[in-house]
Amino acid sequence: MEQDEGARVLPLRVSDIKQYMYCPRVVYYQYVLPVERKVTHKMEHGQLEHLELDRLEKRRKLVEYGLDEGERRFQVHLHSDRLGLTGILDLLLVTPRGYFPVEFKYSTRDPALNHKYQLTAYAVLVEEQFGRPVRTGFLYMSPGKRIQPVDITENMRIHLRRMMGAIRRMVAEERVPARTRSGARCRDCEYRRFCGDVL
Amino acid sequence: MYFLTEEERKRLLKGLIPKSRQNEVNEDLRGWNWHRPPLEPLYDVKLALYEVASRYCPTGRDLFLRRVHKVKPPPNKAMVLGSVFHDTLVTIMVRAKKLIYEKGVAGYQEIVQALREPDLAPLERHRASLGDEGFEEAMRRCRIIWEFEAARIIARVQEYLAKQPHIGEDSLVSLAIPVVVEQKLDGSFLGLSANLSADAFTFSEPMVLDLKFGERRPFHRLTTAGYALVMEALHEYPINVGCLIYAEFREDRLVISKDFHLIDDEVRQWFIEERDEKMRMIAEEIDPGRADDCRPACPYHATCWPSDGRSPGPRPRRPGP
Ligand code: SF4
Repeated sequence: MEQDEGARVLPLRVSDIKQYMYCPRVVYYQYVLPVERKVTHKMEHGQLEHLELDRLEKRRKLVEYGLDEGERRFQVHLHSDRLGLTGILDLLLVTPRGYFPVEFKYSTRDPALNHKYQLTAYAVLVEEQFGRPVRTGFLYMSPGKRIQPVDITENMRIHLRRMMGAIRRMVAEERVPARTRSGARCRDCEYRRFCGDVL
Repeated sequence: MYFLTEEERKRLLKGLIPKSRQNEVNEDLRGWNWHRPPLEPLYDVKLALYEVASRYCPTGRDLFLRRVHKVKPPPNKAMVLGSVFHDTLVTIMVRAKKLIYEKGVAGYQEIVQALREPDLAPLERHRASLGDEGFEEAMRRCRIIWEFEAARIIARVQEYLAKQPHIGEDSLVSLAIPVVVEQKLDGSFLGLSANLSADAFTFSEPMVLDLKFGERRPFHRLTTAGYALVMEALHEYPINVGCLIYAEFREDRLVISKDFHLIDDEVRQWFIEERDEKMRMIAEEIDPGRADDCRPACPYHATCWPSDGRSPGPRPRRPGP
């Protein structure tokens, strides 16, 4: 990934990528117009689910990922000055066959697009930090305990870079982005009262 | 140019097609889900597909000037030539099919004779805009395209005639020329024009093809992605593969390279983002401002950079919240 001019200016978190895909305005409010937001029941619930997943995963065997030997590292802090990106990865599988990032997701549905790009962001951070190429990551979907392998393709990396560029431009130009196309998301959103054009 | 070589076919069958089956496209990004976000259009602005897919102007100001300020400069020379070459190719493909139906399998020798005669009618229409010298040069190139394509069509017809002694006209057309050119499509489900026209489409493996006479640009894949989405919306079957064909003249030769690619989640999202941004720009009349790196050949150059190059042209407006 090339050095982005904005990388030195605005460090991003992997969670910003997810938020941006949910609704770009959420990221706008966080960086450009910091407003007070309440921790909603949904957010607290999400954190508890994560802890439960963590506990379950500690009992899981590597063979379920199609790997035979290796080490599991939980809650890995990842950081890259060059990319201007940080994040905490749920699990990193360090094996002789390579490094595999794993993200835990609490959802009964198929993995959503934002999960895919979060994983891509972790993959490029793992590459940066450990100097090893990452070709595949995993999404651990719970309940159901499904493990979904995700190939980290060249186009996914390009898409991630484009999104990071778009976030940085939006912040630098202080430009309000279009709201999310999904009205249902607005109904649940803690920033709703700041969006004048959302009914 | 739309026919695949044996090597390309192998690469498709062993490489891209299995990959496309393995990397499932997200359901939300299949054209048949045009009625819900993110595909559902937010604005009531209809865009031509090329308007969404063109990023020759880095800020998209060309579209703003055309649609909001109604500035319509004449096309530049490269655009005229591109369209002439393109039409020449369409003419030969359609003519070959027509000849097979008209003359029948028995009239094979006549078909071959007729196909060798170039039809340069598409070029004639541009005689005035190209000037004498430009016209001569364009004619030379149209002939190169015609000869190249005629030879390939004739070889394919001969091959099938030799293999299938009882073949009929309809079957011969579909086997020897299995490409629909200028496929007309209604893009209105996706907020696009109702009169789109895809360069070419093949049915053997559903694949959208687009022909370019010019340099490779990453955003060219937006065109194939756009047509794939529209076709999925109309026909409800998946289209996972696109192919950009780049044709270049080197002296008297035509050099062709192809960019086969997956119509994956990323290029679909990119297309939808471009569509939404551009629709918003038009609906809310947001001037995106001039680019820093304008090409002098841009048809809008004189509008954006009037006379001395210092005056800014129409003033950019900041989008409001
Ligand atoms: S002159 Fe520059 S800003 Fe204007 S339309 Fe052309 S490329 Fe865009």
